[in-house]
Parts: sequence; C-alpha cells; structure tokens
Amino acid sequence: MKLRVSISLVFFIVLSFFLISASKDDGYGAYAPDPIDFKIPPGWPKPPRNIFTKNKLTEQGFQLGRKLFHDGNLSKDGNISCGSCHQQFAAFATYDHGLSHGVNNTFSTRNAPALFNLAWMKELHWDGAINHIEIQPLSPLTSANEMGEHLDTLIEKIKKDTAYQRMFKSAFGDKAITSQRILKALAQFTGSLVSANSKYDKMKRGEITFTPYEQRGYNLYKVNCASCHAEPLFTDYTFRNNGLSLDTVNDLGRYMITQDPADSFKFKVPSLRNIQVTFPYMHDGRIYSVPQVIDHYISKIDISQSSLDPLLKKRIPLNSQQKTDLTYFLYTLTDSSFLKNPRYGEGNSLQFRLQGSDH
Amino acid sequence: MRHKPDFKKQVRFFITLEFAFLMVFCITTAFSGNKINVKTGTLKINFLNTANGKPVVLKDSVYTNPSGEQYNITKLKYYISNISLPGNISLTDPDNYHLIDAARSTNFNIPVKEGKYKSIRFLIGVDSIRNCSGAQEGALDPVNDMFWTWNTGYVMFKMEGNSSSSFSNKKRIEYHIGGYRFGNNVATVINLDFDEKEIGGNNPVEIFIEMNLDKYWASVNNLKISETPVCTLPGDLAKKIAANFPALFSINSIK
Repeated sequence: MKLRVSISLVFFIVLSFFLISASKDDGYGAYAPDPIDFKIPPGWPKPPRNIFTKNKLTEQGFQLGRKLFHDGNLSKDGNISCGSCHQQFAAFATYDHGLSHGVNNTFSTRNAPALFNLAWMKELHWDGAINHIEIQPLSPLTSANEMGEHLDTLIEKIKKDTAYQRMFKSAFGDKAITSQRILKALAQFTGSLVSANSKYDKMKRGEITFTPYEQRGYNLYKVNCASCHAEPLFTDYTFRNNGLSLDTVNDLGRYMITQDPADSFKFKVPSLRNIQVTFPYMHDGRIYSVPQVIDHYISKIDISQSSLDPLLKKRIPLNSQQKTDLTYFLYTLTDSSFLKNPRYGEGNSLQFRLQGSDH
Repeated sequence: MRHKPDFKKQVRFFITLEFAFLMVFCITTAFSGNKINVKTGTLKINFLNTANGKPVVLKDSVYTNPSGEQYNITKLKYYISNISLPGNISLTDPDNYHLIDAARSTNFNIPVKEGKYKSIRFLIGVDSIRNCSGAQEGALDPVNDMFWTWNTGYVMFKMEGNSSSSFSNKKRIEYHIGGYRFGNNVATVINLDFDEKEIGGNNPVEIFIEMNLDKYWASVNNLKISETPVCTLPGDLAKKIAANFPALFSINSIK
C-alpha cells in the first residue's frame, strides 16, 4: 500500500515535469530562426523607418512570406496569388496588362505597381492610401476585384495546411496562424525585394561605363526628370499630377485619401528602375511604351489642369535625338539579376537539371 | 521496521520538495509581470447600449431617432481604448484596446491600482499611433472587420441597419466612423465622473457605462437618415458625427 503511494507519488512528479517540458514542444522541433541582415545598398539613404524593427527579418519568415506571396489558395477561387499580378519578370508588376485580372473576371481599377525597394516607400498604393508595408496586402487579398477572399476564410484555409503550420512554427516560434503573422511574413518577403544592380548601378560603382547614348541620356535625365524621379531610388515618393488627359478615366487619386481638392488627380511618382519591363505605364496603364511616355512629357501634358505639377507647366521640350538618348538611359535601369533572382521566384525546393544538357 | 519511518520521511521530503517548487514557481511568475509589487484590484467595465431608453437588440427591434425616423440595427461595434482613472497614474491596462460588439461582448476587466477613484477617461476609437504601426493583433486584428483596407485606418465606431427613411440601396444605413489623420481624426476622449468609489482588495467593482444612441443623432450636430444614411469615409461628415460622441456616454451605475 505504502509502496503504491510512493510509486504513484514518483510517477506524479515525473509526469508533472514531463508535462511542463512537453508543453513547450509541439512536435515540430525547436524554434531556431536564422536572422537576416537587411543590407542597404552603398550610397543609398536609410529607409525612412526600419520596417524590420518590430518584424524581425529571418530566413524562415522570408520563406514563409515567399510561399504566401505565390500561393493562389489565398484568393477566393484559388487561382490568383499576389504573384499573379506582381510577376517577377516584370519587376513584380503585371506584364503587358494595363489593368490586372481579379476573381470572377474582374479588372483592377489601377495598374499593378512594380514591387521593389519597398523598404524605402512610406506610403503604398498609387494614392498613398496604405501607411505601412505590413497592412498593404489586406487590400488586394479582400478586394472583390482582386483576390476577393474574406480574411477569416483565408486564415482557415492556411491553418488546414500542415506545411504552413510547420513554416509558421519555424518563423514565429509556434504554429499559431493569425492575420498578423501572415502580414508580417508577407512584409518580410516584399520588404526584402531590393533592386540595386542595374547597368546604372554598375556604372555608379565604376564597374562599367555608359555608351555615349546612355551618358547623354543620363545627363538629360538629371536635368529633366530627376526633380521627381530622384536618384538613387528614382522616385521621391511624392504625389503629383503629371497632366494625363481626363477624358478616359477620372480617377481622383490622392484626393480620395486626403479629401483635399488640391490633391485631385495626383498619384505617387513611380520609380524609373526596371521601367523597361513594367509596361504599360501610368496609374491606369494607358501608355504602352517608354518612348510614348516621353512623348507625353514632350507634348501631351494637359496644362489646363489646376493641380498640374508646377514643374510640368511648360512640358519637357526634347528633340527626337534627346528622346532616343533618354530612352537608352532608362533601359540601363533594368536589373536583370533582380528579375531573375530565384530567391524571389515562386520557386521549387527541388531543382531539376538534366545531366549533359548544359549548353 | 527500519524502512517504515524512512518511507514517511521520503513522502514528507517529496511533498516538501513539491511544495517548495510550487512556491518558487508561483513567486517568480507573480514577480515576472510586476517589477514593483503593487496591490491591484479589478474593475469590470460594462457598456449598456441603449436607444429610446431600451437596451439595443440587434435586428428585430425598431427605434426612432429624434427626427422621427425609424431604424433597426444589425451591427453595432466600437473601440474603447487608452482607459485611465485620473488621479492615479499606476493603472495599467495590458490590453489597452477593447472592441465592444453588441453581438458578442460588451464588457471587459482592467486591473486597477488599489485606491479611491471618482472619474474614468477613455478614448472612443483607436489612437493614431496604432493606426500607423502595421499589422496588429487582439482587438485590433483586422479579422474583426473594423479596419479599412483601401485607405489605412480603423473604423472607430460602426453602426449598420435599415431604415425606411434611407435612400441608399436596400434602405440601408451604414455608419463607419473613422479617420486618424491630422484634421480628420475622430478618436474622441470621453471623461465621465462618478461618486468616489474604492477599488481593490475584496471590493471587485463593476461600472456600467451607458451608450445612448439617441444622442448619436442629435446632440452637438443633428443627423437625419433621410439626408445622410451612409458615412464610410474619413472626412467632414465623419467629424460631424463624431462631434456627438461625448454625449453618447454616461455613467449608469457603479457597484
């Protein structure tokens, strides 16, 4: 009898220790994230705020964000991922589409912006509606003309996927799946997209030299474009009206956010980086080529608009040689190492390579 | 004969060990949260949503606003945050943000330093800092459907329903009152006084705050469903409605 008490006592103690230690383990192994050091390219300004202060950048968080970004299951019909409209080969814009396609054969209302160097972008969307990179995905995820999903349904879908459970555990310490973690993981991916290795960057680093065309174009850029599309990000992230005609789409732009009539038809100055692959251009994708964009600034700006940017009141007079030179320069901003970096792609953990089939 | 007392000793030893272990565990847990040992009491805060002098019942009840317009309510949610009991600085509300939802939960507890109090102050809405700080959790989780995705910011106060006076689609009324940016901020500080009350120790105190929707339609500004059945943007109309927020709240009782 007393032996039994003794045994059960020992058993109780052992069990209680076991339970205490077991409660910390969910069977998915230890939590040991690998921190990533977010590198600011040499000569670039510091981002206006460190988006990774409260969202510690780790390899596991980045990989989770990458998976979420490329997962069509996040949309209502299972087909449309973030990556559907933000394609890597188009610098994460929608290639060749003025407007993007949402669920149920819908169109987006604006041109999908390219995604890179977002760590420097304080306000997101063409009208600056979104004040933080973490909450930006809420808009496309839930908009009826984009991914069209309810946030709670989306979370339930992700929770059912054991691969996600593992990835949330390795990124955040336990397998809880919440909107906050989904958004933070996505921000780790999108915030890590840095494009800083174009021909222009190599020229700046002294690794190569520009051709005479490119150099002349660069000089023209500095005089005519740089006040808004400022180096090294090739945007100053301000909101300006560049005088697009109002006869097709009357999108009030920044006014929708500030309710200030002076902000009518203003949109965020987009970066010129990777401009070669982000066509079509403007907030509604109305212009299809770089030379046509330059034509707009040479002769097509509607100077009658009261909110037109003062810098554009006289348009930008360039002759055809200058237009060609400027185009050549703008093409030096293409960063093919970014466009092809497998780390950002939809990816596949298995890389197949046929033996002997290399060139 | 020898091992019998030994066994008793053994049992006593294990019980003492377990007891000591529990003591250490409890003490460390208790101290890890509060570096300074402060005696705290609990204040339970209840919100009583009323209209026409009756408790709000979602969907089925019909109310009449001061302009004589009839309406029902299908959704009624609002944020209460940054609560403090003036006169005592050591109050800590670990959650800080609370969502009152007529369909779910209309009360919550906050820890309060032991003492005597005679007023309560809170914000109806969410302060601008949390509107600018990225993805949030708990009451501020966007799954609570109190967050604008097209134009960052929390809906501070949300009331939806139907009214025959509404000209909008399906006779709907929709008031999503929000806006945190300078000039459009609708988060409003509410101050309510009450007879001095001691909180703490064996005195769990419950406060009942009435939120009287009759004042929503008419206090500083008059609001007619026939004129403005919908407000879903930050801006002038939202500010006009929010100007009525201070009149909405009053102390119903404390016990």
